[in-house]
Amino acid sequence: MNSKRLSRRDFLRISALTAAGAALAGCTTPTPQVIRETVEVPVKETVEVPVEVVVEVTPTIEEKEPVELRIAWWGNQTRHTRTIQVIKMFEETYPWIAVTYEFATWDDHWTRLATQAAGGNLPDVMQHDYARLSEWVGNNLLIPLDEYVDSGAIDLSNVPDETLGGGRVDGKLYGMNLGVNALCMVLDTDAFAKAGIELPAQDWTWADFEAIAVQIKDKLDIWGYGGNSLAHDQIWRSVVLSNGEWIYTPDGKALGYTDDQVLVDHMNMILRLQEAGVIEPRDEEVARASLGQQGDPLVAGKAAMGFMWSNQLASTWTAAGAERHFKLVQIPRLAGGLSAIYVKPSMFFSITAQAKHPDEGAMFINFFTNSVAANHVLLAERGVPVSTVVGESMQAVLTPDQIEMFNYMAMVPSDCQPVPPPDPVGEANVRNNVYYPEFVDPVLYGLTTPEEGVVVLRELADEILAAS
Amino acid sequence: MSDTTREWLLRKARGKARPVLKRRSRITRQNNLMGYLFLSPWLIGFFIFTLLPIVASLVLAFTEYDIFSPPTWVALDNFRKMLFQDNRYWRSVRATFYYVFTAVPLRLLVALGVAMLLNRGRRLVGVYRAAYYAPSIVGGSVAIAVMWRQIFGVDGLVNYALGALRIPGVNWLGDPRTAIWTLITLAAWQFGSPMLIFLAGLKQIPVELYESASIDGAGGWAKFVGITLPMLTPVILFNLVMQIIAGFMAFTQAYLVTAGRPLDTTNFYALYLYLRAFETHEMGYSSAMAWVLLLVIAFFTALVFRSSSYWVYYESGRVEE
Repeated sequence: MNSKRLSRRDFLRISALTAAGAALAGCTTPTPQVIRETVEVPVKETVEVPVEVVVEVTPTIEEKEPVELRIAWWGNQTRHTRTIQVIKMFEETYPWIAVTYEFATWDDHWTRLATQAAGGNLPDVMQHDYARLSEWVGNNLLIPLDEYVDSGAIDLSNVPDETLGGGRVDGKLYGMNLGVNALCMVLDTDAFAKAGIELPAQDWTWADFEAIAVQIKDKLDIWGYGGNSLAHDQIWRSVVLSNGEWIYTPDGKALGYTDDQVLVDHMNMILRLQEAGVIEPRDEEVARASLGQQGDPLVAGKAAMGFMWSNQLASTWTAAGAERHFKLVQIPRLAGGLSAIYVKPSMFFSITAQAKHPDEGAMFINFFTNSVAANHVLLAERGVPVSTVVGESMQAVLTPDQIEMFNYMAMVPSDCQPVPPPDPVGEANVRNNVYYPEFVDPVLYGLTTPEEGVVVLRELADEILAAS
Repeated sequence: MSDTTREWLLRKARGKARPVLKRRSRITRQNNLMGYLFLSPWLIGFFIFTLLPIVASLVLAFTEYDIFSPPTWVALDNFRKMLFQDNRYWRSVRATFYYVFTAVPLRLLVALGVAMLLNRGRRLVGVYRAAYYAPSIVGGSVAIAVMWRQIFGVDGLVNYALGALRIPGVNWLGDPRTAIWTLITLAAWQFGSPMLIFLAGLKQIPVELYESASIDGAGGWAKFVGITLPMLTPVILFNLVMQIIAGFMAFTQAYLVTAGRPLDTTNFYALYLYLRAFETHEMGYSSAMAWVLLLVIAFFTALVFRSSSYWVYYESGRVEE
């Protein structure tokens, strides 16, 4: 027996340890990154609150049982920080309510809430989206807020009725509008000034856009446009909208537009710009994806234009730095076409059907909507607040990004289209399994032409929508 | 004839076969009961958290279930859609097979190579062993995936290094031809666990074999092919089976590093399954995909086991067919 030879016991020991290690290593369950913690977040922004602040009236002295309220929202770090601060203010105002909160990114939020819905433990209050509201209402997962509005628990006396329409399904209010926003093109005004290009008008066209982008590339040697893809499904919608149609039929069983040429022209424009190096090529865009806002070309100064929802300007400007200057303009429209945007309720708070404390949830929604102090912390990060009292009080404390956003949202209603109907069932399927993998990527990677692509898009999308 | 057979025959000849069993039966039964009692915590967990969900998944594979509303029975519709109407499904299958048939051999080769180096027994071998094993443990983590994305990004470390050598950078993550290789490289980097098993197997090989081969004048390569490989074949079989199974189930790296892009070249089967389940709420469809994956893995595992009698050499004698 050679002393170097491993004894049976040692062999077994090593194998067992290896197997354990392999099992542990293999055990990584693919859960989405969920952050769930109650954290003391330091106040990052000290806001000068004007003296005449409306103070919420605490209910009269009654022995209240302690209540635990659960709230869930999606967003980025700016939103998380500010929302947590507001929650602390709410807890101070209503000391018997303790709030447990969960926040995540957009995808993880919906994944987690769907799982919780199936498991019967949805939070009391959840942030909701226009596109998904009717699906959740249809599955009886939300309760109407009308009784709270009628009883005054949710005070909507300062909220114009037209802002509430988006949150209504079948005539009942299921979602409290947290702010209005619209799609916009963000322009880096410093870059424009350096290149000596005049800022475009609000009703500029895609042809203007192309010309400006090429000029920026020529003069500054940065991308004319960067960030979210120009073939993003929101742009697809805006192009069809500008052509006077909507991408889905009213019953949601097929694609609702008849003119494919506008989409073909749009994709051809993207291909031209890609070819000329004026915009980020699709393969680099894909590689950069989900690196967060730090990787965003507009923030990094690598592009002079980008598109996003108007309320996202707050976090973009914060990431870019206070010394930068941005302006919001409408998404370009087609030549001779209508406006490509609409005023959208950015997001809602809803009370779920599985809520343990719906009354306290209503109190939270009321606080969020009407408290001036809370909104001075939120600083319109979710969109322009719907309460007129709050909106007016904020004029004193607006930072440059809010001023820009408020001005933009004040201008948009005079030149926009009515809000389209919510997306049909099967929209996620069309977007994830047809629009990007079978249309956008093959076209932009040069594997097929736009003309062929739109045919495939229509065929596959209609198939999915008809079956849903 | 094996020992137990001989024993039994002797006992039978002495006429003691049955009485012995009878006397033992009560004690045996008590022993068995104690065994099950000790097993029960694990058994209960197994039934509730593993077996029941597996059965539920099988039932769900024949339904349409969007997690909000109760499932509706659709029989073989999911399978039909999957196999005949889903382009992304076949791209996903292709990506997975490509990955399994490149990453697994590569990982095993690297593991064997490093194990042979570590077997020389230099100083600090323990430190090297731990260092080479570490990537296996942390490899499935988000931190490594994010780091990998940075390394292979357009402005990442690899392109920076290439730039220093005046070679133009490559868009590793965005180019459909190279994206999957970032994941294959990540898999090869995590060679730790097969390496440790190879190391254990190498240490089992009797040194006399090498000595007598040296006396007969065998060179390094001859020793490797003639002694090391045949003696390692049981370990190779184990590692091959384990790595094939793991390869077909690869998810985390694809989800975090490339999210299946570009053009679905890295859209591994398990990732596509997850996306269909949670992006579009098609739980029934995903369950159907999961069971097809089970069949595929079972097929390949059976294939490897079947072929093993032809190439695996056990020291105690060839396994009789």
